[in-house]
Amino acid sequence: MNDINTDVLRSCSHWILFVSSIAILPPVCLTLIRKTKARLQSRIGPPLLQPFYDLIKLCRKSETVSSTMSGMFRLASVAGLATIILLAWLTPWLSYKPWSPSADLFLIIYLFALARVFSLLGALDSGSAFGAFGASREVTLGLLVEPALMLGLVALGLFCGSSDLRMIFSYPQTIGGGAAAGAGAAGIWLLVGIAILLASLIELSRMPVDDPTTHLELTMVHEAMVLEASGRNLALIEFAHALRMSIFFGLSAQCFVHALASVCRINTLTQGILSVVGIFGIAIFVGVLESLAVKLQWRKVPEFVAYVVSMSLLAAFVAAGNGGIKL
Amino acid sequence: MNSQVVFLESLFLLVSAAVAAFALSHKSQVSDKAMSYLLCAIASFAIAASFLGGSQIVGYETSAPLMLGVFPLTFLLDGLSRFFLLLLSAILFAIGLFSPGYLSHLKGKISGGQYWIAFFLLALSMFGVVLSADAITFIVMWEVMSLSSAVLVASDHTHQSVQKSALIYLGASRTASGLLCGGFLWMHSLTGSWNFASWNFAQHQAIFPALLILLGFCIKSGVWPFHIWLPYAYPSAPATVTAVMSGFMSKIPIYGLIRILIQGGLSSPEIINLMFVLGAISSFWGVLFALVQNDLKRLLAYSSIENIGLILLSLAISLKARAASLPLIADVAMVAAIFHCLNHGAIKSLLFLAAGSVDAMAHSRDLHRLGGLAKRMPWTMACFFIGAFSICSIPPLNGFASKWLLYQSLFKSTLLFGSYLDRGLFLTAICLLSAVGALAIAVFVKAMGVVFLGMSRSHTAEHAVEASPGMLCAQVLLAACCAGMGVFAPSLVSQITKIASSSTRPITTAPIDFALPIPLLAATLFATALVIYLLFLQSSKVRTFKTWDCGFGPLTAKTQASSDSFAQPLARIFRPFLKYETKATISGRDRRHFPEQINVEVKIVSILESRVYLPCLAVISYLARGLAKLQAGSIHLYLVYVCSTLIILLALGTVL
Repeated sequence: MNDINTDVLRSCSHWILFVSSIAILPPVCLTLIRKTKARLQSRIGPPLLQPFYDLIKLCRKSETVSSTMSGMFRLASVAGLATIILLAWLTPWLSYKPWSPSADLFLIIYLFALARVFSLLGALDSGSAFGAFGASREVTLGLLVEPALMLGLVALGLFCGSSDLRMIFSYPQTIGGGAAAGAGAAGIWLLVGIAILLASLIELSRMPVDDPTTHLELTMVHEAMVLEASGRNLALIEFAHALRMSIFFGLSAQCFVHALASVCRINTLTQGILSVVGIFGIAIFVGVLESLAVKLQWRKVPEFVAYVVSMSLLAAFVAAGNGGIKL
Repeated sequence: MNSQVVFLESLFLLVSAAVAAFALSHKSQVSDKAMSYLLCAIASFAIAASFLGGSQIVGYETSAPLMLGVFPLTFLLDGLSRFFLLLLSAILFAIGLFSPGYLSHLKGKISGGQYWIAFFLLALSMFGVVLSADAITFIVMWEVMSLSSAVLVASDHTHQSVQKSALIYLGASRTASGLLCGGFLWMHSLTGSWNFASWNFAQHQAIFPALLILLGFCIKSGVWPFHIWLPYAYPSAPATVTAVMSGFMSKIPIYGLIRILIQGGLSSPEIINLMFVLGAISSFWGVLFALVQNDLKRLLAYSSIENIGLILLSLAISLKARAASLPLIADVAMVAAIFHCLNHGAIKSLLFLAAGSVDAMAHSRDLHRLGGLAKRMPWTMACFFIGAFSICSIPPLNGFASKWLLYQSLFKSTLLFGSYLDRGLFLTAICLLSAVGALAIAVFVKAMGVVFLGMSRSHTAEHAVEASPGMLCAQVLLAACCAGMGVFAPSLVSQITKIASSSTRPITTAPIDFALPIPLLAATLFATALVIYLLFLQSSKVRTFKTWDCGFGPLTAKTQASSDSFAQPLARIFRPFLKYETKATISGRDRRHFPEQINVEVKIVSILESRVYLPCLAVISYLARGLAKLQAGSIHLYLVYVCSTLIILLALGTVL
C-alpha cells in the first residue's frame, strides 16, 4: 500500500514539475539569450520575466486578421502549438519526465514536420510576399536540416540498439551503458549533441542563419512568416516557437549530460539538475554566438549545414560500424 | 455462402456489365449518370465479394467456349489478390461517385461512348490482371488494360499535346509488354509451364527472365529511368482516368512483382540490389522534379514516381533481409510495401480527384493561374489538404504509418546486417528518405499554398464555385479513408499480415507489431488543439483589415510569391540535377526605379529526356528510314515478299 502511494506521489510530482517546466523554461531561455546579448553589448537587458509580460500584453490585445485570409491562418497557430505541446510530452528533453506513450525518433521528426507545415500554411494564407518568402526559406532550411537531425538521432539509436528515444536516453542506466561504455560512447554523444545544437540554430532560425532582431523582414525567416499575426494569435505562435527552442536545446543538453555520464558516474538527481542547467548553458552560449557571429549570406547557408551533416554522419558511421548492442 | 459462387458471380457480373456498357455506348447519347451508377454498383458488389470470400483460396479455370485457343483462362483468388481487388473496388466506387459531376464539365471535349467503353474495359482488365493465375491470362488482360488506358489518355485527342502524350504512353506500354512477353516465354521454356505457381526464380538460369520481367514492370509503373511517360500521360487524361491509373494501375506492376518474382522465390542479389537502387533513385528523382512543376497534375504525376520508388525500395529491403535470413525485417518491409500500395492508392486517387475538381471549377491546372480557392471551394480544399498532409507522411494520417514501417525496416537492417557495405547502404537510404520527406513537404506546401491560399491569380479562379455534391462525396470518402487508415494503422497492419500470410505462397512469416499508439496520439493532439482554441482564440476580439502592404497601396495577386519563386531557393540547391536556370530582364526608361516590364523566365531541362531518350529515338528513326524502302507501294513487290517468306519458312521447316 505504502509503495503504491509513493509511486503515485512520485508520478504526481513528476507531472507538476514537468508542466511547470513547460510553462517556465521557454520564456526564461529567451530572456537568457537576450540578457547575454545585452550584457555583451554593455546594456542592462530586459528583466528575467520580460517574455511573460510580452505574452500577457499580447493576450490582452485584439487581433487583426487580413481579409485575404481563410480560416487556415488561425487554425495553423492553434494546431502548431498543440503539436509542439504533444512533442514536449513525447520527447525526452528533460531528465525528469512523466510517462509518455512513445518517443520513436521517426515519429518525433515527422511531428516536427507537422508543426512546420502548419506554420508554413499560416504564412502563405495572408497572400503577402513576406510570408511566402519566409515560408520558402523555411522549407529550404527544413530540407537541409531534417536529414542531419535524423541521422544524428539514428546514430544514437544504432548505438543504443533501439529507435525509441526513451530507451536511448535511459541507456546509460542499463547494462553496457553508463561509465562502462567509456570514451568512445562519450564521443558519439558529444558529436550528436553538437549536431543537434547546430541543427537547432537553423531549425529555430537563429544566428548565423537568420537574425531574429533585424528590422528588415525581407531578409528574415521566422519573423517574416509571422508578420501578419497579432494579439493572442501571435502569443500562441511565439510561445510555440519558444517551447520548440527549449525542446531542441533540451535534447542537445541531454546528449551532453549523457556524454558526461559515460565517463563518470552521476546520480538521477544530479542528472535532472544538469539537464536544466544544460538548457540554460546552451541558451547563454547561443547569446554569446549571436553577439559574435555575423549573419551568413543566404547562399552560404548550405555550407554551414554541411558541418551539421558531417557531425551526424561521423556519429552515424561510428555507430553503424559498432553495430550497436544486440537487444 | 460458398466463396467460389461469390467469386464466379462477381466475374460474371463484371463481364456482363462491360458487355452492357458496350451495347449502351453505341448509342450516340450515353447517360454519364447511368454509367457512373453502374460503375458504383459493380464496385460495391466487388467490395462485398472480396469480403464475403473470407480467407479461402479459390482457383477457377474456364471451360471450352471461353478459352484462348487451347489454353483455358485460369484465375486465382487468395488473400493478396483479394486485398488488391478491395483497393481497386474502393477507388472505382469513388470514381463512380465523382464521374457524373466531373464529366458534365467536359462536355464536348470527350465522347461519352468511347470513354465509357474504354473505362469499363480498363476496370474489367484490371480485375483480370489481379486475378490471373497464369502467364497467358495475365498478358491478355495486361494488354487489354494497356490499350484501353491508352484510349482513355487520348480522350481529348483534338489537342496536339494529348496526341503526343498518348503516343509516348503507347510506346512505353508496348516496350513494357514486349519485355514481359520475353520474360514469360523464357520462363516457359525453362519450366514448361505457364502457371505462375510452378515458376521458380531461385534457380540460377532464371536470372535473365527475372530481369526482363522486372524491367517490364518498372516501365509500366514509372520507375526511374523509365518514368518519362508518366508526366505526359497523367495530365492529359481526364481526372477520373488519372485517379485510377495513378491510384491503382501503377500498383499492378508491384502486384505482379510480388505475385510472380517474390512468390517465385527470387533470390539473386544482383536483381535485388538493382531494385534497391532503382527504388531509391526514383523516390528522390520524382520528388525533386515535382518541386519545379507548375501544372498541378504533372506535379502529382512526379509525386507518384516518388511513391512507387518507395514501394520498390521496401520490396528490395524485404528481399535482402530474407536472403540474409532476417525474417523479422523481411516481414516489416513487406508489410510496409503492401500497406504503402493501399495508402498511396487512396491518397493519390483523392489528390487527382481534387485536382480534377479544381481544373473543372477554376478552368486551369496551371499554378500561375490559381490561388485563393480556400474561400470558394472550402470542401475541396479540406480534402486536398488531408491528401497532401498524408502524402507528406505527416503523423496521424496513413502516409506516415507505412513510411514508419519502411523506416523501421531500414533502421533494423542497419542494426542487424552483417556486412559493413550493407549497413552503409541502409544508412544512406535513411538519410535519402528523410531528404525525400522534407522535399515532399516543400512540394505539397507549394501546391496547397499556391492553389488554395492567398489571392486568386486569374479571373477564372476568382469566380470558381464549389464542386457538385457527388464530386465532393467521392473526395470526402477517400479523405476519410486516409485519416481512418492512419489512425487505426495498428489494427490494419495486423490485418495486412494476416492477408500476406494467407496467400497461396505466404510472403510474411509472423505477425508484426505496429508499436506506435497512433489513436492515442491523434486524440491528444486533437484535444490539445481544441482546448487551446477554446481558451485563447474563441473569445479573442477580431478585426478584419487588409494584408500589410508597407504603405504602398493595395497588394495585387502578382505581388504574391508564385509557384516558381516559392521553389527557387530549393531548385537552386539542386540545379545540377534539374539544369535549373533563371533569366530576368527588366526594361523601361528609368529601369532601376520604375521598371515598366519585368520578365522572369525559369528553365528546367529533363536530362534523361533530352540526352538519352531523344538521341535513342533519333537513332531508331534513322534506322527505320532504311526499312521504309521495303515499303515501295507496289503490289508486285509485296507479292514477292509473301512468296519468298513462304519459301524460306518451308525450307526452314524441312531443315529443322
